Parts: sequence; structure tokens; C-alpha cells
Amino acid sequence: MNLAEDVQLISFGLLGVLMIAAALGVVLLDQIVYSAFLLGGVFLCMSGLYVLLNADFVAAAQILVYVGAVNVLILFAIMLVNKQETFKPVGNRWLRQGATALVCVGLFALLSTMVLATPWVVDTTVVLTSTVVQIGKHFFSDYLLPFELASVLLLMAMVGAIILARRDFIPEKMATDTQDALTLPERPRELTGTVSDR
Amino acid sequence: MFHLSGYEYFLGFLLIASSVPILSLIASKILRPRTGGPERRTTYECGMEPIGGAWIQFNIRYYMFALVFVVFDVETVFLYPWAVAFSQLGLLAFIEALIFIAILVVALVYAWRKGALEWS
Repeated sequence: MNLAEDVQLISFGLLGVLMIAAALGVVLLDQIVYSAFLLGGVFLCMSGLYVLLNADFVAAAQILVYVGAVNVLILFAIMLVNKQETFKPVGNRWLRQGATALVCVGLFALLSTMVLATPWVVDTTVVLTSTVVQIGKHFFSDYLLPFELASVLLLMAMVGAIILARRDFIPEKMATDTQDALTLPERPRELTGTVSDR
Repeated sequence: MFHLSGYEYFLGFLLIASSVPILSLIASKILRPRTGGPERRTTYECGMEPIGGAWIQFNIRYYMFALVFVVFDVETVFLYPWAVAFSQLGLLAFIEALIFIAILVVALVYAWRKGALEWS
């Protein structure tokens, strides 16, 4: 049983509109926490689009990794930063915004010409078995070495992250220097005592 | 061309689940009293008085837990196809997956020994 064509079309339109609205919110909203949560919304809409493209494993991985992990890390990084500050206005604001707009419009024009110029090949063959089973079979036959290497990569990432987060590598002199820089996101452990212990 | 099966139930669940918060918000907007003083503007109308602002600096320890979580989250993504295709893969794949998990157990032991999992 399949979804009807109209339902697919409506879902695609809704997901697209939601995604563009959420992405605009990420860029335009002042509160950075709202931006982070809306980024999660963008990722969720993207996984919906993956489902519509028959890529159910990619959709599940998108939700697990991007919404579950990357977005959580972004939120934690925001929560680790100190209180909201009033920033000084930058000079030549219009110049900077104009340059940014120019770059963005150029990138958009480049991508849309590429999309329009590419002759997309539509493969109409239907894969009968589940894509997850196919991926599992490939993982344990011809892609075995990358699969095991991914485990080693995760191990390295975790060791590196723990070393960086514990700040063991900082020599004594640098550690004393950071005492006056209380606004740094990563403060030494002894300074994060009573104020932030919640 | 969409040919995954079972997603009409998913769509139904999605519609019902997303209508629940919308309906509850509308219902509380209709039912709530119109009056109210400054206490209605507090974070928790009943319960503890909040102390200080909500925008505080959180402890770095939370970030350590998040980092460890991310590593094992990505591990889940890799083990999910193995679990789905388990009956068609055989013993060799089981041993290979055990190697995969064993390397990550090393990471867990490292995090444990370095105190990343402790709440000291």
C-alpha cells in the first residue's frame, strides 16, 4: 500500500514551507536558543523529505544524529556560554550586510543553475527488500573495513573530546591566565563552583 | 516515486500527535480565567519561586555527558542495519559486530577511567 500522489505532494509542500520558515527563523531571530530549536525543526523536515525520497535509513539516521546529537551539542554549547550580553553595534553595517547578501544570492544562483542544468536520471526500478537490510548486508560484506574503521574513528573522537573538555593539556601558566577571563565558555573546573552548579 | 510501505500509518500518527499540543493550547486559551496579577507572569504559577534568571551558565560536566552520548548515538546508527538484517547475516557478521562494539567499549572504559561519567 502506498501513499496517494496528492498526499505525497501536499506533504512535500508542507515540509518545504516549514523548512524554509524554520531556516529563516534560525537566521533572523535574535534569541540564539530559539535559533537552535528551529534548527532542530529544519533537520526534522529534512528527514521527512528523505522519507519521501524512499530513503528511510537516511531519515532515521538524520533524526538520530542531527536532531538527537548535533542539535543537542549546539544547545549545550549555547547553555555553556555566559549570560546574554548587549553587543556593541558594528560599524559599516550596511556594507557587511550587502556583501553577505551578494554572496548568498550568488551561491543561490550558482546552485539553481546547477540544478536546472543537470540532466537528472530517474531510476524507476523498485528495490523489493528493505533498504536497511541492504545496507546491513553491505556493511558486513564489502564495506566491512570502513565499518570497523568508523568504530575506531568514534573512539578517537571521544578520546579527543574528553581530553579537550577536561583541559588536562593546559600547562599551569595558561591555566592561571584564564582566571580573569570568566566569560570563556570553558572555564576551569575550580571556578565553576557555586554559581553554575545547577 | 514513493514505494515504502506502512507510511500511511506514520502519517496518521504524525497528524494526531501534532494536533495534541495545538488542541491543548487552544483548550487552555479558551478555559483559562481572564483575570490575574503579576504572579501569572512567573515561570511556575504554582510551586517554587524561581531564583535568578533562566539564562545562566551551565556546568561543563553536562557537555561531557553530551559528548559521550553523541559517540554512542552514532554507534546506534551503525548497529541498526545489523540488528534489522541479523537473521540473514550469519555468525561472521555477529563476530564483526562484536569487534565493533569492543572498540567502543574501550572508549567507554576510557571515559569511565577519566571520570567523564562521574558526578563529583
